[in-house]
This record gives sequence, C-alpha cells and structure tokens, in this order.
Amino acid sequence: MNRNIFISFGLHIFLVIITAMSLPFLAKKPIDLPPIISVELIQISDKTNIPFAPKAKKIIEKVKEKEKKLISEQAPPKKIKKQKPDAVPLPNEKIKKIKKIKDEKQNPEKVETEIKQISEFEKKELFDTNSIAALIDKSKTESAETNKKLDKVTQDQDKEMDFAGLTLSEEDALKAQIFGCWSIPLGLPFNEDLLVRIKLQLKPDGSIIKTEILDHARMNRPGQGFYKVLAESALRAIKLCQPLRVPSTGYERWKDMQLNFDAREMLEG
Amino acid sequence: MLLRYLFILLIIIPIKAFALIEVDITRGNLNPLPVAVSPLSIDNESKENFKKILKQEDLGSEISIVVENNLRQSGLFNPLDKNAFLQEPDVANLKPRFEDWNLIKAQALVTGKVTFVDEKLRVEFRLWDVLAGKEMMALAFTTVPSNWRRVGHIITDKVYERLTGEKGYFDTRIIYVSEEGPKTKRIKKLAIMDQDGFNNKYLTLGNELVLTPRFSPTNQMVTYLSYFRNLPRVYLLDIETGMQEVVGDFPGMTFAPRFSPDGKKIIMSFAKDGNSDIYTMDLENRIVERITNHPSIDTSPSYSPDGKQITFNSDRSGYQQIYVMDSNGKNVKRISFGNGLYGTPVWSPRGDLIAFTKLHKGKFYIGVMRTDGKGERLLTENFYQEAPSWSPNGRVLIFYRETKTNSKGEGFSAKLWSIDLTGYNEKMVETETDASDPSWSSLLSD
Amino acid sequence: MNLSKNLKNGFLILMACLVLTACATKKTSTTSGQMQGDTYTGTDTVKELAKGVPDRVFFATNETVLTTASRETLRKQAGWLRKNSDINVVLEGHADERGTREYNLALGERRANSAKDYLMTYGISSDRISVLSYGKERPVDSGSSPLAWSKNRRSVTVKAN
Repeated sequence: MNRNIFISFGLHIFLVIITAMSLPFLAKKPIDLPPIISVELIQISDKTNIPFAPKAKKIIEKVKEKEKKLISEQAPPKKIKKQKPDAVPLPNEKIKKIKKIKDEKQNPEKVETEIKQISEFEKKELFDTNSIAALIDKSKTESAETNKKLDKVTQDQDKEMDFAGLTLSEEDALKAQIFGCWSIPLGLPFNEDLLVRIKLQLKPDGSIIKTEILDHARMNRPGQGFYKVLAESALRAIKLCQPLRVPSTGYERWKDMQLNFDAREMLEG
Repeated sequence: MLLRYLFILLIIIPIKAFALIEVDITRGNLNPLPVAVSPLSIDNESKENFKKILKQEDLGSEISIVVENNLRQSGLFNPLDKNAFLQEPDVANLKPRFEDWNLIKAQALVTGKVTFVDEKLRVEFRLWDVLAGKEMMALAFTTVPSNWRRVGHIITDKVYERLTGEKGYFDTRIIYVSEEGPKTKRIKKLAIMDQDGFNNKYLTLGNELVLTPRFSPTNQMVTYLSYFRNLPRVYLLDIETGMQEVVGDFPGMTFAPRFSPDGKKIIMSFAKDGNSDIYTMDLENRIVERITNHPSIDTSPSYSPDGKQITFNSDRSGYQQIYVMDSNGKNVKRISFGNGLYGTPVWSPRGDLIAFTKLHKGKFYIGVMRTDGKGERLLTENFYQEAPSWSPNGRVLIFYRETKTNSKGEGFSAKLWSIDLTGYNEKMVETETDASDPSWSSLLSD
Repeated sequence: MNLSKNLKNGFLILMACLVLTACATKKTSTTSGQMQGDTYTGTDTVKELAKGVPDRVFFATNETVLTTASRETLRKQAGWLRKNSDINVVLEGHADERGTREYNLALGERRANSAKDYLMTYGISSDRISVLSYGKERPVDSGSSPLAWSKNRRSVTVKAN
C-alpha cells in the first residue's frame, strides 16, 4: 500500500517535472521562429476549414491522430491573434499547431546530436506512420521523371527545409484552385469514410511530377468501388488544375505536398 | 540526463511526422461531370443494313444519343455538345487525341463502333479518362438489332458504374397505370415502358379498374389489383405470355400486393368486415399466412431486401403511421413519429432507408427515413403526390403527382416524376397518357 | 347500491349533456352551407333508393363513425330493405383524394362496413349486403375543395339485383 502511494507520488513528481521543463521549452520556440511563419502557418489547415467543414476536419484529424503522437497541449499564445473572431480554437487545433512547428534551424547543433542518438527509434516511428502506408500502397499513377522517394522524409531532408507549411494566403489560393477543379462524384454513399490522401511531387512551376494515392490498396478492395471513383476524381482534379498555384518562392518547402480530399461534408450538405 | 533525452525524443518525433505539407480539400464543385459521348462510328455497309432493318438513319449516332440522354437525365453528368467535338468518331475510338477533348473540358469520353455481323448488331465501346489520358473500360456486345436501345442503356449502366462507383439503373423498365378520361370515370390500364419512356406497351384494355402494379424481382411477373367483375382482388400477370390469374381470392377485398425479395411469395392486405390485415401467399403451394392481426387498418406492406423484415402502414395509433416488424409479424415497432400522416412505406434495395409519402397540413411529401425511423428527410413537397418506387440501385425514386382541379373538376392531370435521393434533379417522366402508380424493375441484364 | 347506481346514472347524463353541448357548439361554429364540421349535409349528389330513402351517408375526414344524420338515413334504408326482402344491396365505400391510395381502399372498406353493421343491427341479414371499396378511385365530385372532398367521403347503397 505504502509502496503504491510512493510510486504514485514519484510519478506525479515526474509529471510535474516534465511539465515544468516543457513549458519554458515550448514557450521559447515561437519566439525564436521567424514571426511570419509561426503565425501564418497555424491558421491554415484548421482555421480556413472550420466554417465550411467541421465534419470533414474531424475525420481528417482523426486520421492524423492515429498516425501522430501528441505530446503537449500547450499553445503559444500569440498565435491566436490572426484567427477569425468566430473561430474559437479547439484543443486539437492547438496541438496541431505545435506539431507543425519546425525548430531545426534554431539550434541545429543541439538538435542534431539528439537526433543522432535517437535515430534508431526515430526511424521506426516514421516507418510506422508515413512510410509503411506509402511503401505498401504504391500508386501506379506516376509520370516518368521521378527518382526521389517521397516517403523518405528523413532528418536530412527536414534540415533542408526553411520552415514547414504554406502561408494562409498561399494555402487558400491553392485550395480555391482545387475546389474549382474537383468534380465530386455525386453518386457516392455519403455515410462512408470518404477521405482520399494523395501525395504530390511538384516542379517549381507547380506542375506535377508524381502523384501517389496513400491508401492505394483500398482502391481494389471489394465493396470499396466508390473509393476508387473518389480517388480517380481527386487525381483528375489535380491534373485539371495543373500547374498548381504554388508560391513563387520556397520550392524546397512545398515540392512535396499531401492533399487530403474529403467529400463527406459536400455530400452530406 | 535520461529524462531529458526522453523528453526531447518526445518532442522531436511528432515534428518529423509533420514535415510534409498537408492541405485539406473539403470542397469541390457538385456540377455534373462533363462527359463527351462521341457518336459511335459505323461503316457504310452496316449503316445501310441497319437502315433497312430498323429505319434508323445512323444507328451509331442514335445509340450515342440514348447514352447521352440517360447520362443527362441522371443529373450526375453533363454530356457536352457534339458540335464542339473535334475528332471524327472512328478516329476517336482508336486512340483519342486527349488534348482535343481536354480543350472542350471533357473529363471522360465515350467512344465506340457499331457493326452488322451475321444479321446481328455488334457494338463495342470504350470509356476514356481524358485527364489521365488512359482507357478506363472497353466492352463489346452482340445482340439482335431490335435491341439497339437496350445496348445504349447497358452502355450507360457500365459508364455510370465506372464513374460513380455504384450500379446503374438504365437498362430497366417501369410498369405503371395509364389513366385517361374524367376524374369521376377514370379509365385505367396497365402499361409498361423503358425507363426513358420509350417502347411503351399497354398490358390491359381498360375494361376494369386496375391499380398498384409491382414487378417481381426477376421482372417476369407483375402483381396488381384489378376490379375484374367488380371484385377487387390481387392478380398475377406474366408479362411475356400475358397470362393472368387471381392470387388473392379471399371472401373480401385483397389489395396492396408486393413480391417478397425471393419472388416466391406475395404479401398483401386482406380486408374483411372493416378490418384490413396483412397476409402472405406462397405462390408455389398457395399456402396463406396471416402476418398481422389487429383491429386497425394494416396495409402497404413492403419487405426488406433480405426478406427478414416488413415495413407497413397502420393506423393502430389512431392515425396512419409507418411500422416495421419481423417477417413473421413479431416485434411490431412504430418508426414514424413526425408531424402528420405517413403512408406507402417502401424499403430501399440497399436496405438502409424506407421511402414514404407524408401528408401534413394539406401538403403531400415524398421522403426517406432510416429503418429505425431516424434521419427523416423530405425530398419534395406538392399538392398531391404519392407511391414512391426505388430505382434498383436505390439512388432515385419515381412517384406520381396529381395537379389540383378547380371547382368544376378541370385542370386535372397525373404524371410520373423522379427525384434523386439527395432531393435534387426532380424531373417529369414523359408518358403518352396520364400516369400513376409507377413500379421500377430491377436491372434487366445483370 | 341504489345510491351508487343513481350517482352513476347522473354522471352519465351529465356526460351526455356535455357531449351534446359540444356537438351543438360545433354545429353553430362550423356550419357553412352544405357542411357540418367537415361532413357533407347537402343533397346535391344524393339519389333515392325509394321515395324518401336517400342512398348514401357521409363521413368526416379520416373517420368511419356514422353521424346522427347518417344513422337516420340508414334506418330509412333498413326499413325499405325490410319491406323489399327480395332486394340485395352493395355498399360502396369511398374516400376523398387526400390520402394514399392503398390506405384509402381500406378506409372505404371500413366506411361501407360501418354502414353495413348499422343496417344489420336493424335486422337486415348480412347475406343481403355485400361491401365494395373504391377508395378514392370513383369520386362523385372531381373538384379539389373541402366541399368536393366531403361529398366524396361516402358510403353508397346500391341495388345489387
């Protein structure tokens, strides 16, 4: 009995320490970041969606949550300032914001050493999430040029990136373009999971080098005919929109991109 | 130190996972998909042959028009104007120049070829993904020339299935009641036509009142109510042979018939002494089984596609409402609880929805609800309309609508209408005469 | 015992009075020419089976209960049938167009049967009466108005031979 209390006490202390350590650590990050990026990047995937697609967002987030570990609920306070007045951030969004923050540039040395030491574990984790799906479900729809494996998002590649994400306006421009190109197949059952994730590799002018459907295996599964139809419609949308309205600068950060097509909200609407 | 590592590790992993930019596309346009249906190519010799047999100037072009009209009628596709096509049909069928089709904004392209082989009609067609620049499907059919419209319907079904992910409903027929004459002395005949209104045929002469025809699952038989000799009874009609027989010769009125999903039974209402209950009759051994036993009116029964349940209409609560029960009559549950009266429940072929007619504040609605009664959606409202029947893929409902008459009884008409499950794409189905009580067949070729 | 019986009778009378007053107020408030409530009371469409014997009775919307007037009509018919014991009749039940077809067929059957039951309580053998429902298939007034509908909600007694 006493021992249990002791253990519990110890764990609680541990937790408190972690929190105590993480708080300043996290709080520092955004300050170090180039301000434009940190602010705008957050807005994006969450905010622009909220008024239109609460349901779709939920699904997307569910999928994401499955793949990614959450670590902290702490949000940098200043991020809120650009939000639309009616869009109250949910806890989930805050988590995502943090996850998106890239901090390699701030103190490369330190991080690098850490990375090396944990690299074994790291790889495994990545494998679990992105690579596995990508490796198994390799889409056949790709144009010739590519040699680089998209799914090998490793440390080296990360370091090349200045920062991650598109600015709000950049993302909106891209979304608006694809909205116009995507003819949602109207016959789909609206009660199914209708999320198609497509990885793109882009040229600097926004034309497509390669497209890859992440759940490609699902396309040929019996009873999932509608998924194939949806995936094909998404591919058509990308083709039709080509070249994509990508930012004129920062090719490195968006040369690989993932588009999550979710028709559910439209079909339910 | 270890703690610190652990901590940093925790921080870093998710960052890595998020390295890729993700953009969520949650909106698109719900405009019908632009499709180009190229006239099917046809060689001169075949053209002459078909002209002789079918009196059709250019059969290739005629079949493509069938396809085009079907696709347009579905509301899911936008067939593009043929005048804008740049490529000749024969060239397009071999290897389309996708840039040309892209130019007119076609996303899919249908091409094909018609030939006359051994007195038969041979049609091959291809479906192309214009944007991906690849063939999505290629099929060929051989049939008697008089079936040429059906070939068009079958092609549409294949294209529809390939592009929407669900089965089509074009190679189907509709049986209905053709109506003529003044409202007080309406002459009614059974009639059957293709889903697009062509090939209309009358099955009865109009000497007696006929109502509520319904197809058997194999489309071979029809069950309906006839007032032959002023005795309202359920009849069975073989469409091919024209043979008719009474199935519900009970000492009272039998009405509201429907087939069971296996086609072996007919379920119907039997009214005697002011009480209507639901019965089934086995068509093989003629054994009659009583399903409901209640002093209220129980009518309009309809089986679930698996045959395990029955939905029906009853006023046991005091007013017309919709109920669901097991096929043996047990577990009766009321499922309609909205305002107003509910009638004519019909189980969808997919099994997840029940379509109904609702009467509320002097208006009639066609709607759907889930089989537990939740999720009620009203698709269309009008002065008078009722009797929805499902397309075989469960996507479209056909029903009939009557217009209001003035005090002299003028201005009356009854027409068939169809509407999507979404509530969009409401369209009148053209019929030679006034029409009511439509029943949609299953796919003829499947 | 007696007391309680008296009380009970008194209560019944009171209730009857209340019901009647309810009827009375209804009469005055909703009578509009040829309708009472929404039951037809006119004679436009009514034919006679014999002198002073109307051939049909009318019903309120969705109702199969006979009104006082209907019962009077049916008593006359019963008297006529008793006098002409060689005549058989068909009771044709009808509904208005404001209902689904199949339900209305059942409703018409029920209306005809409630007329039949009443005739039987006045001594007419059920062998002489058959019942036929037309639902809403044979309106007598083809208009789409409350008045037209009230004329169509009916049970018509027709000579069968």
